[in-house]
Amino acid sequence: MEAMAMMPYQQEQTNHIERPIQHRFSPYDFNGGTVLAIAGEDFAVIASDTRLMTGFSILARDVPKTTQYTTNTVVGSCGFHGDVLTLTKVIQTRLKMFTYLHQKEMDTSSVAAMLSTVLYYRRFFPYYVYNIVAGIDTEGKGCVYSFDPVGSYERETYRAGGSASSMLQPLLDNQIGMKNQEGAKQVPLAKAKAVALVKDVFTSAAERDIHTGDAVCIHVITKQGTTKETYPLRRD
Amino acid sequence: MATPAFPTSFVPGPLWGNGPTPGQVYNFPGAATAPDQWGTQRTLNPSVTTTSVLAVKYKDGVVMAADMLGSYGSLARYRNCPRLQKINDKTILGCSGDYADFQFLSNIINQRVVEEECLNDGFSYTPPGLHSWLTRVMYNRRSQFNPLWNTYLVGGIHQEKPFLGYVDKIGIAYEADTIATGFGAYLALPILRDAVEKNKKMEEKQAVELIDRCMKLLFYRDARSLNKYQVAVVTKKGSEIRGPIVSEANWEIAHMVKGYE
Amino acid sequence: MFLTRSEYDRGVNTFSPEGRLFQVEYAIEAIKLGSTAIGIQTNEGVVLAVEKRVTSPLIEPTSIEKIMEVDKHIGCAMSGLIADSRTLIDRARVEAQNHWFTYNENMSVESVTQAVSNLALAFGDDDPDPGAMSRPFGVALLLAGIDKDGPRLFHMDPSGTFIQYDAKAIGSGSEGAQQALQEQFHKSITLKDACKSALTILKQVMEEKLSATNVEMATVTTDRLFQMLSKDELEAIIKDL
Repeated sequence: MEAMAMMPYQQEQTNHIERPIQHRFSPYDFNGGTVLAIAGEDFAVIASDTRLMTGFSILARDVPKTTQYTTNTVVGSCGFHGDVLTLTKVIQTRLKMFTYLHQKEMDTSSVAAMLSTVLYYRRFFPYYVYNIVAGIDTEGKGCVYSFDPVGSYERETYRAGGSASSMLQPLLDNQIGMKNQEGAKQVPLAKAKAVALVKDVFTSAAERDIHTGDAVCIHVITKQGTTKETYPLRRD
Repeated sequence: MATPAFPTSFVPGPLWGNGPTPGQVYNFPGAATAPDQWGTQRTLNPSVTTTSVLAVKYKDGVVMAADMLGSYGSLARYRNCPRLQKINDKTILGCSGDYADFQFLSNIINQRVVEEECLNDGFSYTPPGLHSWLTRVMYNRRSQFNPLWNTYLVGGIHQEKPFLGYVDKIGIAYEADTIATGFGAYLALPILRDAVEKNKKMEEKQAVELIDRCMKLLFYRDARSLNKYQVAVVTKKGSEIRGPIVSEANWEIAHMVKGYE
Repeated sequence: MFLTRSEYDRGVNTFSPEGRLFQVEYAIEAIKLGSTAIGIQTNEGVVLAVEKRVTSPLIEPTSIEKIMEVDKHIGCAMSGLIADSRTLIDRARVEAQNHWFTYNENMSVESVTQAVSNLALAFGDDDPDPGAMSRPFGVALLLAGIDKDGPRLFHMDPSGTFIQYDAKAIGSGSEGAQQALQEQFHKSITLKDACKSALTILKQVMEEKLSATNVEMATVTTDRLFQMLSKDELEAIIKDL
């Protein structure tokens, strides 16, 4: 461009020639995926689908977007998969350094706080990742923290994130938050009910959202540790 | 009074086109330029490109294939571009995208393999190790807005099991049983996935036949492909690159295809 | 020790043939010139007590500060070259705040001590790290605080070595004071008794007559965290001695 501006004569000559299509480089992509977490009285459930996409193509069908960080902390991350991989590696090294330095495992609340600072340090070239942290807090209660890509976060009782989040969140508001119901009573959520709900909402999300499908990976976190199960979703 | 020899309004054009402005350094298209008011420009588009790589895991190994065409835009410029590489007895690498970027990284990898070999400690790059390293390289380059315009497939044997991984220019990486890049992702991948799903314990012969069939299919439908290709196979016994293989095409029915002119 | 003085005294990072770092050992000696400081850990909390040497009636006693707050839950008493402690305390405060900023939790007493000891060890002749000095610090610290494991008391000397104690005395009167602590300390000592003990022992080892103006005392407890004792509170305890 610079050379062109200095040589108007040349520009005149070449202007009529059709230029080849320029691929503009974009450092981001959206690779789909939905994450969902629910905090119970003494447990937390966090789930993600296992589909990895780009555009309308399915890259892989067995890539869970959840990562176990500590014995009672599991994090779900979706958005741009390159950033997801990098961010999870950064967090995992930070966790290791923390245990070496302080001789203890990081609390779930600290994982959330640290994740927030890590995300914010990239404020002007963000990790394009939506994170949800689930675990057990220091009082033994289930906890869920949700994040935006630049590190704003809050503690919640349930949250959906990622491609089908706008479909799942109102459903959770209704089923767990008992919102928009008349005379509905808030009853403590049972673990089995939470897991069943997760399976149902993911099945529904897979019906309507092309970026969600293949399978859902469900982690149940309690004081004793975590269990993992995989439940199939539609694969088209 | 003498009149001027030529009108004063005449302004001579530049000395020559398509060359350096006198007193200036030639700017190759797409190469890094000196920082201007917009900052430094870097290679943000590919030039000599290569098309799909296909790969599939089977019972005891991985088969990978890529044709040997180097395209310059729509021009089929180079017809002998090998882009499958044997890293060691357990690892193979396949590349699609900008050929120069592949040669650049290939040189670096070769150098590292030689240095590793010199240690003679019995260790060598494992497929997941190379895959992870490539992911970091590609992600770091994209983060510096100076990407390597490639997609890499790493195949191999790790802990007695077949390994197949993908990395692209922005650092997306994953492992899968079947992977295809470029046009292959649309045309060949469904066929590969279907075959693997129906035959979970595929033999090497079947896997190679499957890949051959897909390469031929790509030659028929992908305008930037060539019927000359290489196949890499890696098993517990070692890795090898076969070819160039020339697939016989049959265009007899081509004249019946009408309506797209 | 002073007889073996040799050229190995010179370099702070040079071992003598006997395997000693003289400058570090001298720095530890410097502590023994400092005013006495005592720390006692109890189940309810930790108490820190120091003597202030008010060497002239013209000195404003409150301007001598030998107990400092590191964070809401950690206090620090010191003996030796008090000026040197500024750098260490600064580092401790920064580390504690950094930990809180990143992890949204209080830093453990041990981790703070570890961070300070890293700085204490960073001395050297050339190209020092930012904040580090060319010689060892001439100050010893008693770090007291409350964390997940309950009340904690750590002692750190100029060599950067840190050890957890139930009760520890440093400074000129430390030998006698440590002996007295060993006699008076027991696992079920109350905080109130610990405060009393600390002052009783200080009284024994101090040259001047102990009063509310020439001692400083602080407690770190689960419910009130770091708390400096006021003059009135001190006088109340002294009255009971």
